[in-house]
Parts: sequence; C-alpha cells; structure tokens
Amino acid sequence: MKQLAGDAALDLESVRRTFGTVVAVDDISLAVARGEFVTLLGPSGSGKTSTLRLIGGFEELDAGAIRINGERIDHLPPYQRDTATIFQSGALFPHKTVAENVSYGLRMRKFPKSEMEERVRRYLDIVRLKGFEDRYPGQLSGGQKQRVALARSLVVRPAILLFDEPLSALDLSLRLQLRAEIKRLHDELAFSAIYVTHDQSEAMAMSTRVAVMNRGRIEQIDSPERVFHEPANEFVYTFIGESCCLPVRFGSGAATDKLGQPIDLSLEMKPSDGDWRLYIRPSRMKLAGEATAFANRLTAKVQFIEFLGDVYRYHLKAGALEMFSDHPGPTGHNVGDMIDIGWKTGDMQAFR
Amino acid sequence: MSDIVMTDGTTPRRSLEPAIFRTLGLAFTVFIVAYILIPIVVTLVMSFNDAAMIRFPINDWSLKWYRDFFGSPQWTDALMNSIVIAVGTAVISTTSGILAAWAFERFHFPFKDLWYLLIMLPLFMPGVVLGLGVAIAFGGLQIGGYSIYGSRELVMVAHSLWAMPLVFMLMEATFRTIDYRVIEASYDLGARPARTFFEIVIPMVSTGIISSALFAFVISLNEFAMALFLTDRDTQTLPVLMWLSLRSAGTPRLAVASVILALAVFACLTLIMIWYVRQLRKVAR
Amino acid sequence: MTVTAVKESPSYELNRRKAIRRKQLTPWLLMLPALVIVFIFFGIPTLYMLRMSFNLHIGQRLYVPGFTFEHYVNLFANPLFTNAIWTTVQLSLLSSLCTVLIGYGFAVLVWLKPAKWRLLFIGLALCPLLISEIAIIFGWWMFFPKNGLLSYALLSSGLITDKISLMYTEFAAFVGLVYVTLPYCFFILLSIFDGIDKRMLEASADLGAPPFMSFREVLLPLTRSGLLVAFSQSFIWTIGTYATPSALGPDTLWTMGYLIQEQMLGKHNWPMASAFSMVLVVGVACAMALTRSLMSKRTSFHV
Repeated sequence: MKQLAGDAALDLESVRRTFGTVVAVDDISLAVARGEFVTLLGPSGSGKTSTLRLIGGFEELDAGAIRINGERIDHLPPYQRDTATIFQSGALFPHKTVAENVSYGLRMRKFPKSEMEERVRRYLDIVRLKGFEDRYPGQLSGGQKQRVALARSLVVRPAILLFDEPLSALDLSLRLQLRAEIKRLHDELAFSAIYVTHDQSEAMAMSTRVAVMNRGRIEQIDSPERVFHEPANEFVYTFIGESCCLPVRFGSGAATDKLGQPIDLSLEMKPSDGDWRLYIRPSRMKLAGEATAFANRLTAKVQFIEFLGDVYRYHLKAGALEMFSDHPGPTGHNVGDMIDIGWKTGDMQAFR
Repeated sequence: MSDIVMTDGTTPRRSLEPAIFRTLGLAFTVFIVAYILIPIVVTLVMSFNDAAMIRFPINDWSLKWYRDFFGSPQWTDALMNSIVIAVGTAVISTTSGILAAWAFERFHFPFKDLWYLLIMLPLFMPGVVLGLGVAIAFGGLQIGGYSIYGSRELVMVAHSLWAMPLVFMLMEATFRTIDYRVIEASYDLGARPARTFFEIVIPMVSTGIISSALFAFVISLNEFAMALFLTDRDTQTLPVLMWLSLRSAGTPRLAVASVILALAVFACLTLIMIWYVRQLRKVAR
Repeated sequence: MTVTAVKESPSYELNRRKAIRRKQLTPWLLMLPALVIVFIFFGIPTLYMLRMSFNLHIGQRLYVPGFTFEHYVNLFANPLFTNAIWTTVQLSLLSSLCTVLIGYGFAVLVWLKPAKWRLLFIGLALCPLLISEIAIIFGWWMFFPKNGLLSYALLSSGLITDKISLMYTEFAAFVGLVYVTLPYCFFILLSIFDGIDKRMLEASADLGAPPFMSFREVLLPLTRSGLLVAFSQSFIWTIGTYATPSALGPDTLWTMGYLIQEQMLGKHNWPMASAFSMVLVVGVACAMALTRSLMSKRTSFHV
C-alpha cells in the first residue's frame, strides 16, 4: 500500500458516535504515529471502548473520519481494514488448534502455505509458546490463551493493533507478567497500537502516550510522566494516582469548611476568596515531626489507622474535611489524638 | 431447625419428607416407570412371538415375524420411504431453520416479534389440518408432467412445517449462547461474513445443529397424520402402513414394525452420542 | 483495496452505499427458505382451505366452486357433529388436566432427586417422544384387550376370575392420550423447576411449614405459569389428534380430527373437511390467545 511519508499510522478526525441520546464518543481527534503505543485510559462509560470499536470497524461512526496510513477506512467493514484486535477474553476459535488460530489471518490474506507455517512458528516462539501448535484453546490457561491471541494478531503485521482491555480478566500476577510481555514485544517489534484500559498503572507502564478520557472526550493526551505530574485539569488529577480532596471556603481572612466551621489551616500562598478544592497526594503529606518543616500546615484528629503492609495509613479529620496519609511506621499517635500535617506548595493543586 | 445443606446442593431429606411422603413418592415412581414402559415392553416382547395372533401368554418365541417383515416388499418399501422422507425433512428444515435463526440473531429488521410468531405458527397447528391444506392446495399440481401429489418431496416439505420451526427455535437459543467476540475476531482477521459463518459459527454450534437435525428426523419418521393425506400406495410411510393394517392385520408383524421404527431412531441417537463424545474429548481439557 | 495518494478515494461513497444496502438485504435472503415454507406451504393452503370451506359439495365430485355457508351450518346444527366437538373439548380438557397433574408430580420427583437418577428419568421421559404415535397405540392395543397383557397379568395373579377387556373404552383412549402428551408437559415443567432455588423449600421448612404447606405456599405460586403453559400445550395438541382416541376408544368416540379425516378420505367432501379444519384452527388460535392473556395477567402482578 502506497502511503505518504508523513502519514500517521492512525488518524481520527472529529469522530463522533451516539447511542440514541447518549453521546459515547464526542468529537475525538487523535493521531498515532508509526510505532507509537497510545493508551486510552478512563472510567467505564468514558467512550474508550467505543472509540476502539469504531477504529476496528465493529461500530459505525455518526460523524468524522478515520484514516489508516492516510487512507480513509471508516466506510469499510472490519474484514477490509488493516487492523487486528486482541479481545478481553482472547476470543480464540475453540474448535481450531493454536496453529490454526494463529494462521487464520494469514490464510485470509492468501499467504502461501510454507511462508505461513514459518511465520506461525516464529510468532509462537516470540510469545514464548513454542511447541503449542497442536493444542486446543480448551487445554490452555488464561495467560496462554492471551499469548495465542497476541500471536494471532501480531502475525498479520497490521497497520495498527487494537487492544480491548486484554488483561482485565486475569489475576494480578498474570496481569503483571503479560504487561511486561506486551511491553517487551512492543520494544522488539515496534508495532503501532491503541490500548484500552481502566487500570492506570497499566497505562503508565506500557505507553508512549496516554489519553485520559472522560464522557466521550479526551481530557489530556501526553506522555505518562506529564499526565501524572502536569495534569491538565481536575479530572485527570483525581483519576491518576491517589489524592485527598479538601473542599475549603476562603473568606475575610479565615478558612472554613462546608459547614462553616473554622479550619486551622496555614498556607504559604493564600488563594483568593471563594470555594476551592485543594488536592494533595497522600504520599506527599508528611505527618507529625516531619510536618513542621513545611510552610503549609493543618492540624487534624486521627480517626482510625490502617496497617497496609508497607505503610500505616492514618485517616484524619479536621472539621468536615477528611483525608488520609501514609507513614512508613507508626508515629506513636493513637486514635483521637491531634496530629500535624504538612506539605510543600508545589505538591498541592487547587481548583475552583 | 433445618439441617445443614449438603455440598452437592440436594435438600436434606429429613426436613421435607417424613415417611409417608417417602412411600408415596416411591409408589408414584413405580407407577410412572410402569406407565411409560408398558407399551414399550409389550411391543418388544410381542415382536418375538411365534404365533400368528396377538395374545398373552406367549408360548413360542422366534424371529419369524422379523423375517416376515424383511421379506415383505410392501413393508420394507414403507420403511425405505419413511427413512428417505425423514432425511429429506431433516435437510430441508435444518438448513432453512439455521439460516432464519442466524438472521434473527445477527441482524436488525422491523417487526421481529411478528415474524417470529409467523415462523413458529405452523408448529401449533394440528397435523390433520396441515396435511389437509397441503393436499388440497397442491394435490392437483403438476410439475413437468409429474404429479406432485403422492410424491415424497411434498411430504418432506409438509413435515418441515413442524420441523423447521423447531429447528429455528433451538438454533436461535443456541446462537444466543455463542461469544460474539469470536465472530468479531474472525471478521477482524479478514474473513468475510459467509466464510465466518461456515468456518467459525457452524463448528461452534455443531452439537446444536446435530440435535436439531435429529429432532427433525424423528418428527418426520414418526409422523402419521400428514403422511396419511399425502402419500399413495407407492410412497406410503411405515406409520401410515401400520395404521392401515391396524384394524385388519393384527399380527406381531405390527410389533416388529414398531420395534424397527424405534431402532432407527435409537441408532441415530447412538451415532450422535458417539460423535459427541469424540468431539468433547478432542477439544476440551 | 484501492491504492491512491488522494485522501478520499472516489469510490468511498459508492462503497458505503453498497455496504448499507447489503446489510439491509441479507437478513431477508437468509430467512427466505423458512419464509417460503411458511407462506407457500402453510399460508397458501390455509387460505385455500378457507376458500374451499365455502364451496359446494354435490354428489361424487370433490367440490363445486360456489359460495355457501351450509357446511358451517351443518357443523353446528347436526347433533352428530356438535357431539364430536363437545367430545373433543371434553376429552382434551380432562386428559390435559391429568397429564399436567402426573407431569407435575414426575417433574417434582426428578427435580428433587440427585444427579445420577435425573439422567435416567430424563431418558425414560424421552422414550414416548421418540416413538411413533402409531407404535404407542399399538402397544396399548396389546395391553388392554381380552387377550392382552393386562387381562393375562390380572388373571394369573388371581385378582380376577375371567378375562377382561378395557379396549375400545374411553378409559383406554384417555390413557393413550395422556401417554403421548406426558413428555411435553414433563419437560416444560422440569425446566421451570430448574429455575427455582431448592433452598426456598428448605427455608420454608426451616420456618416451620409442613411439606404440604411448603408446596402450596412456595412451590405452587412460582410454577403457576409453567402449569398454564403445559396445560395449554397439551390441550392444543389433543384437540387436533384423532389416531389415539379412534383406535383405542369406542367407535362412538368421534373427535374433530377424526371427522376431518373422514370427510377428506372417506366422504371425499373437501368443503366440509375444510370447514372443520377452519373451526379447529380458530379453536387453537383462541386457546393460544387465552393462554397468552392469562400469562401476561400473571406477570403484571410481579412488577
């Protein structure tokens, strides 16, 4: 296929999809360069899966255009698009052997038999399933099934790979294992991919860029580091990583909570009057003795203490404000005690 | 206070069935088993009777009537007709039923409920009515010089009036259980819908298809009311011949015919069971 | 796929329209064989019979084109025929009731039994379904008469002193009818039972209810719709059949089905046979409609 040098592997232009009155995909534009691994991250209902299905051809657009390598494909059925999808459950053909599953796409593209066999063997080796050619999906474990699904889609070398939450049905250790596998495969083979997940650690670990989605729109699309450290808005900030929210009202020099009770809060830079939401990540809130070093301080009462293995999580309350903070060891405080909390100004985000 | 629930999910007997219910239950079980088995056992036993009359007690046993059955062209022809028609019905109804069920499962079109009702409607009509209708409407028709009345093909279609809705209903339910992502995976990898249907869908529902075909076969093989109206002396089926012989020739030959008819059904059933077990062993863990 | 350097291929719109048209046409093509069967081999004959029922019947000719209500009038005026209709309905109602009762008991039995028994009983229940109605008739034919098994068994066990025949009695017809419809009822009811959690019965017993109370208060209400469907199915089937009652029952036991067959093959009176068929079809349709309305009334209570 002839393509222009500057063409993106995938280009979404103002794509829109509605279900009745619900707008699932709201005017999304996105370009995936060749070799890029872009993750669509968001809660359920954010439109990430719908977007993926639009690219794959399993749903029809209501407006906009989708191009692969410069050529418009949104009118084509899935079997005429140069995409390959890895589904959540693997979706292997149960009555075909592993080799028959993996060679399916090649057969549809009319590959000669010898070349097919060679490729199938090579890709099964790549996903570390050498020797599994004659097994049936019913004889495989969950992780093995996903590897076969990977091989099946990789082997046809599509313009773009589509991942539909492939790891969410697996247990934790398997998920971590396969996550590393997919990253390794990407490093080795340099395929272009769109990956859909609601698990942010997955998104951060594997992607070149992360697109955080909410209600059919992309809130921010950036490298994982920038999404984490420089969130574009409140939604992105709260979705990525843990954070504590402190809704505070500032007025005539004092800080009060929702119910009007005064809060013993001292800030380095006082914000203007009005209702604010202050966010701090619990890992950035220092407790007790360490707190005194910081310019921003708050005093709160210990509600209860959770032992989480690595850290002790102190659940604290100041007036109507609730927050929690992690500490590597017990601070010596008990439930009911007043404790100091301190943090750097740079670690705080404030939204109106 | 109730007992602990058993791990296999059965309700512990004691709290629900005091002794009186136990004996009633046993008596009822014996009654049911006897009720169902009586005609079967009687027929089987009588088929080995050596005498020419049907009476109990049976004094002499032999295979005489079996030999008589297979030696009589009228009866063996009837058996052949039954089997041919049954196979034809199975083919027609399974094909049309599967295609229609697939249309319902994967496509959208208006008034689906109405069309469903229409397709199922013939199943609820009495065989007499269906047979009469077909006989009257198509009885006099001639295609290329051949009168279709009395033809086996017409009986096949008439039987499909019952068999096709059954296949349709069964296959529609079966199609609803398949993981449609597997179908999407097939499209995704480049297979057109027709190819996907034959290479992926059909094998996945093969047990459903075989069961439906078997049902169609059995319905047609045993059917009598429609066949009575639609067959003539050359194409009469075994049940029709049996019915016509009922009042006149009450000999053990009829018992043999019953046994043979049932054997045909059980033979198919066994073949399918064997095939099914082999499938399971191949594909499952 | 087209190879082009232009952003939009010229055939884009064309391909799109083709795809949409294909999507709309395909289901109808798939349904075509089934629809042909239904419309041409059921629809047309039904309309044909409807028209035929108003034709005349003169002498030895099968039918004479015309228009008359005489066959319908005859049907409802002639006591022979009205008796047959009444007999059919009566017999069907009674046998359906009996079938449902026995089927219910059988289903409860199998439902409560452990797995290994279940398979055996289901196999047993399948037998009448797999055997031809004629073979079933013939089986009972050898059981009921004077020289049949029943007589022989009772005689040899000393319970009676002389040969007995229950052949050609309404009872024999009854037994046969129940036998043929029993499997359908059983499977319908069993599938309803399988949808019920057995532990509800246990909870009921736990709360102090004796078994009969558990049955009446817990099981019966939940299975009411199943009972209705099973009864209706049985009824619809039995009003259309004639082989079993005519073979096993007395010669005076005429059913609608028998009359149709007689008018067609015996009297060669096509219009009359068609008129009977139409009445039977209407009867079946009414039964189905009644069942449906009763079912929906039930469900509206559970909103």
